[in-house]
Amino acid sequence: MEDQEILIRFRDPAARNVAFNQLVRKYQSKVYWHVRKMVIDHDDADDLTQDVFIKVWNHLENFRQDASLYTWIYRIATNECLSFLSSKRRKFFLPLNDVGAELTAKIEADESLAGDVVELKLQKAILRLPDKQRLVFNLRYYDEMPYEQMAEVTGTSVGALKASYHHAAKKIEQYINDESITD
Amino acid sequence: MNKPFRLDEHRRRPQPPLAPPPDRYFEQLPMRVMQRVQATNPAPAATWGWLSALSAPLRTALASAVVLGGFAASFLLSPEATIQPVASTSLAQVPREELVQYLMASEQRVTLSDLAELPAAQNLPTDTYLHASPDELQEVLDGQPSEETYL
Repeated sequence: MEDQEILIRFRDPAARNVAFNQLVRKYQSKVYWHVRKMVIDHDDADDLTQDVFIKVWNHLENFRQDASLYTWIYRIATNECLSFLSSKRRKFFLPLNDVGAELTAKIEADESLAGDVVELKLQKAILRLPDKQRLVFNLRYYDEMPYEQMAEVTGTSVGALKASYHHAAKKIEQYINDESITD
Repeated sequence: MNKPFRLDEHRRRPQPPLAPPPDRYFEQLPMRVMQRVQATNPAPAATWGWLSALSAPLRTALASAVVLGGFAASFLLSPEATIQPVASTSLAQVPREELVQYLMASEQRVTLSDLAELPAAQNLPTDTYLHASPDELQEVLDGQPSEETYL
């Protein structure tokens, strides 16, 4: 079902639930993986994904279609992730590196990476980035999102996003090369 | 010497190699989301459903108007608010003959001495409704039957 059709049906009280169900089915995988890449843990990603769709339900009626529905949902998911990580630091009085270390420990415990040393180093390097820079890196590197769309999602200029991605890539390469020398 | 790592030469995966979610997770997620949506947004009662269609400022204004209207109605309809006529004014409207008849016929047991002991210098209640001078009163009282006759 096209986004426009979902929006039209959502505005009809009789068809609202069905339309929203279609919306969740259409975007759940993208939202889940977008969130999961940021918080790593499945349970956290599950909670946040549900929260994202609750917010979509609450505000979809007022959605003005300035951006595409996909971009708008991504923006909600992004804000939820950043708020979650920020509140986690405030709640436990954790500095930036400690949250990164906690996420790294979860990555290391993940059996999917067993044996792939370079990939493990890459993931550890990504987790050392500040949250917003990591978000930019994920959107560009894994989702291959165009910079213009990234600008709508993050509310940042295209130039700033390009610079942020470039610096993130350099930091990652630097970290992996330093680790290789140490090894 | 190892070749330096370059990100653009690394085989890019479509997703980071994280463990997939549990089986049938994406089949169940829409239902769980809908359950939470229904729990947080219970269907409004049909009678008051129109209220939810109003904007927040309008609902606040409506609530204020209802409260103020309630105060005004309770003030206007309360028994204390009705103007009670002053007793002396009411009595002044009663003809003097009727008052005398009432006093004579009722069981008030008014005696000549009761009236005679009233200090004449004071502004007596009787002055306000009888409008009679002490001499007129004395004349009327002298014309009444003796105490022993009607007691």
